[in-house]
Amino acid sequence: MRRLRDPVTGLLFVLPMLVLFLVFRIFPTLGAAGMSFTNWNIGGEWSFVGTANYARMLQDDTFWTSLRVTLVYVAVYVPLTVLISLGTALLLNSVVFLRGLFRGMLFLPYVTSFVLAGVIWRWIYEFNGLLNGLLAKADVGPVAFLEQSALVLPALAVVSAWKGFGYSMLILLAGLKAIPGSYLEAARVDGAGPWQRLRAITLPLLRPALFFVMIIETISAFQVFDTIYVMTGGGPARASYTLIYALYDKGFRGWEFGYAATFGMVLFAIILVVSLIQRRFLGRENT
Amino acid sequence: MTLTATRPATRAAATARPRRTGRRWPLVALLAVLSVLTVSPFLAMFVVALSPAGEPTLPTRWPSALTFDNIAHVLSTSGFLQWTLNSLVYSAVSVVIILLTASMAGYAFAKKRFPGRDAMLWTFLATMMVPFQATLIPTYVLVSDLGGVDTFWGLIVPTLANSQAVFLMRQFILGLPDELFEAAKVDGASELRVYWTIVVPLTRPILATLGVFVFLWHWNDFLWPLVIGQSDATRTLTVGLTILRTEELQLSLLMASAAVSVLPCLLVFFLLQRYLVNSIAMTGLK
Repeated sequence: MRRLRDPVTGLLFVLPMLVLFLVFRIFPTLGAAGMSFTNWNIGGEWSFVGTANYARMLQDDTFWTSLRVTLVYVAVYVPLTVLISLGTALLLNSVVFLRGLFRGMLFLPYVTSFVLAGVIWRWIYEFNGLLNGLLAKADVGPVAFLEQSALVLPALAVVSAWKGFGYSMLILLAGLKAIPGSYLEAARVDGAGPWQRLRAITLPLLRPALFFVMIIETISAFQVFDTIYVMTGGGPARASYTLIYALYDKGFRGWEFGYAATFGMVLFAIILVVSLIQRRFLGRENT
Repeated sequence: MTLTATRPATRAAATARPRRTGRRWPLVALLAVLSVLTVSPFLAMFVVALSPAGEPTLPTRWPSALTFDNIAHVLSTSGFLQWTLNSLVYSAVSVVIILLTASMAGYAFAKKRFPGRDAMLWTFLATMMVPFQATLIPTYVLVSDLGGVDTFWGLIVPTLANSQAVFLMRQFILGLPDELFEAAKVDGASELRVYWTIVVPLTRPILATLGVFVFLWHWNDFLWPLVIGQSDATRTLTVGLTILRTEELQLSLLMASAAVSVLPCLLVFFLLQRYLVNSIAMTGLK
């Protein structure tokens, strides 16, 4: 009797989450693929247009701009964030004095929002803002951080790195703590200096954690939106017009839902490839 | 022979320790500088927020006095209060429902056998690879067709389907011994009773951790509230902040609004930092 009851209760316990999933995750995921083949507009009218949206996208300068901007942003943000996380994690791992306090201060921005980061850093970057105020004391500037095409993406990457590095720092710190102290001690006894120990022991053993952090930060870099919405609005002259910003722009300013969904599919394809690479490499690490 | 050979070595070992910690001081100094740099944007925000209105403040000079006038002014504007309330509702309701539904689903996935379980679990896992932004448009159209634009249910319900939460609960409950549940059933406890008196109390630490994360995710959320909240009735604080930023608002008032909006995050941080730090290190929860 109890065995017969079990499948029903199991299903009943899953049911609330299952319904939420079917309606608000699975259905929209299938819907996203479907919509990219329609000319869905704000009025809710639509008809199938085949691959017309994809053909249009390949001809659309704003698409190629958004792809290029996103890739440049990823290329700046990921190394920057991984280096900051690694550096702070190594420092935290080798210092005992006030470690908890320092770790807390470094982690603090992570618990706040990208919108807040955008509001504060927009002021920091302004002509009469904090950074130019400090630069003026050194007789430099003022520098138009957010108004120059060449500077805007690095400036935005710094904001996201500041807000987000605490997470990767903690992952790497946990990885460092897992390295047996005896390995490092043995190397020290054999006469290896700090730099040699870092290169020959710490970094190779930290590789799985470093790889995880790189993948996670790459995925979050492809999804950047909030700071751009708050700080630049995609400008100047589309120099910070990323994929998600393009999706938002086409969908909620141009009200072309079908075409905007096509941009979502591109993002989906990119994230899928990155995730599959991660799965493949993690599988190899485990064997 | 042996004595003279070992002596220098022990002496070197004895002196090596203090020298090694002595060498760490530059690292401590570097770490201190980086830590202060990291929190300095917040400090600057608070200094400007607490500066007297109309007076020059950072970066040209330090304020002559600190005052809570800006904070009080921000808190007395109705729009700001409404946004704050909306953010609280959005976060609190989401925490309660996600903790409940995710722990129920996690319990079933971990300890029950039912048809389609593994396929369901696999599907939940697969949806983690679909970024929310890719489904933004169809989710919006769906909620809009159901009449959910600019409503609280439209804001909250689509964000409750959280696979990270389900997986975290499942992994944790998998580690609980089966005997506990069997013993309760032998004693004649109903399924709901087993859930409420065994699963919930035993998962309290992970529920607390998850609750903190869900709160932060929703309090800091932006894109979904931006598209779904189209009037002050449902706009959250993050969306409100971006509206204030584009208005010609005095800097000290903007920073005061920003400062108020971050207070719950700071509260969570100071009270539960250990929880957050440990759970990231152990589970990779982001």
